Amino acid sequence: LSICSRTVEPLEYYRRFLKENCRPDGRELGEFRTTTVNIGKCLCSITTADGSALVKLGNTTVICGVKAELAAPAVDSANKGYIVPNVELPSLCAERFRSGPPGEEAQAASQFIADVIENSQMIMKEDLCIANGKLAWVLYCDIICLDYDGNLLDASVFALLAALKNVHLPLVTINEETGLSEVNLKQKNPLVVRKHPVATSFAIFDDTLLIVDPTAEEEDLATGTVTIVTDEEGRLCSVHKPGGSPLTGAKLQDCITRAITRHKEVKKLIDKVIKSITPK
Amino acid sequence: MPLDHRRLRGPEESQPPALWAATAAEDEEDEEGAGAAPRDPCALRPLFARAGLLSQAQGSAYVELGSGTKVLCAAWGPRESAEPGPGRLLCEFRRAPFAGRGARGRPGAAAEREAEREAAAALREALEPAVRLGRYPRARLAVSALLLQDGGSALAAAVSAAALALADAGVEMYDLAVGCALSRPPAPAASWMLQPAEPEERRAAARLTLALLPALNQVSAVLGGGRGGPPEDWAQALRLGLDGCHRQYPVLRQSLLRAAQRRDAAAAA
Repeated sequence: LSICSRTVEPLEYYRRFLKENCRPDGRELGEFRTTTVNIGKCLCSITTADGSALVKLGNTTVICGVKAELAAPAVDSANKGYIVPNVELPSLCAERFRSGPPGEEAQAASQFIADVIENSQMIMKEDLCIANGKLAWVLYCDIICLDYDGNLLDASVFALLAALKNVHLPLVTINEETGLSEVNLKQKNPLVVRKHPVATSFAIFDDTLLIVDPTAEEEDLATGTVTIVTDEEGRLCSVHKPGGSPLTGAKLQDCITRAITRHKEVKKLIDKVIKSITPK
Repeated sequence: MPLDHRRLRGPEESQPPALWAATAAEDEEDEEGAGAAPRDPCALRPLFARAGLLSQAQGSAYVELGSGTKVLCAAWGPRESAEPGPGRLLCEFRRAPFAGRGARGRPGAAAEREAEREAAAALREALEPAVRLGRYPRARLAVSALLLQDGGSALAAAVSAAALALADAGVEMYDLAVGCALSRPPAPAASWMLQPAEPEERRAAARLTLALLPALNQVSAVLGGGRGGPPEDWAQALRLGLDGCHRQYPVLRQSLLRAAQRRDAAAAA
């Protein structure tokens, strides 16, 4: 009987659980799904990319590959490199995504990631410049969702952070006599990641109830979503609330507090994984 | 170059740093390649296959070859299609932008899309004889393959992964299609090699990809070309490829069996 109700009247089914302050998969309203991350040298690392990471948030699986290339800086910002994020939702991650050029959701996610990189200043573009006006690094960050079960933004930001921390750039010098660049592939320095932003997403139910880390089913039933991005000093980097039901100031404050707690959990996880792969 | 409005734009042009790497590094790689040439041509690389790992797709499979090729494939069972007639198999093949060793592939570029379309057509050719399309009139079956890392023999791995995913989705099939790739280096009297790695594939004078239905012992697709040599050489290459397919078959069957057992255990729990 309960399974019938779940497909026929999903909202009523969910309301019954939310009244008891829990969710059908057994989680509390403020509880995240099991988060696992694989960086670089562990299994499922992409050796053709300069840095890679695979993040699983429950069933949602996102892989991020970073490739570094060289280009001339733009004319109006001669001392800055480029970071180009690209979120892809291929047709294999969920049935509703069609093959072809990126749809609305993918484009919105790419723009969100670009904003997070810019606002949190996790990578200073000036760090990517090699020679003023002549040569700079371009970091192409390709985030591909392999399995879409809700909360794409959190997983993408986490995967991006993990992959960037794994990037090693070869040393590039410009030969003064010939003016050509020389790349030394043997000597690699790790990329400097200044800040570590972490995103926390919430779904709003019935204009009042906030649940953290929504699954795809919950996202479909929700009346709105909110994503909060914080960095390690407990500072707010960005709040992303694309329409949806209105939120009171007090509720928003609750979200921010939860996001700060989540940041600590995620940071601990990343540090643990990085320590386990760093050669002693 | 037409602007791609749907993706964030980076610089107009960029080159991979390997282009300017000190030439000493390139010579070293060539030497290494020549030194490794006496590889056993019939040696198969270790194959890892796992079915039933994605939660959103009806059937899925992940195949990894020892040389580093990683392919993830998802399949969906029969869905209603507006056109009358027997069932259709729709295949899609995508390369991740970070899959290649050199420059990053630009996702929207025409050349990329052409290559992907060709690969999708090849996938369809290889899979159609294996699926009992007659059992699904007016339906469409969808298969979507994603190449995460290209270490050589990518299309062959994709064929195996796609067949596994279809079987995992519960689609009725005559047999699993197993893919195997061969290549022949440019040296004059060189022999065909099974499952080339990426540098060997790049330098090859002729390449061949085979898809076989092992239990029925029927070949479903042969793709390839190049300067191979006399016809007897090609026949010998085909025989080598068929042998390779037969040897990979037990691994794929075992992975399907394990996936079914896991699903049973999860349902019982």
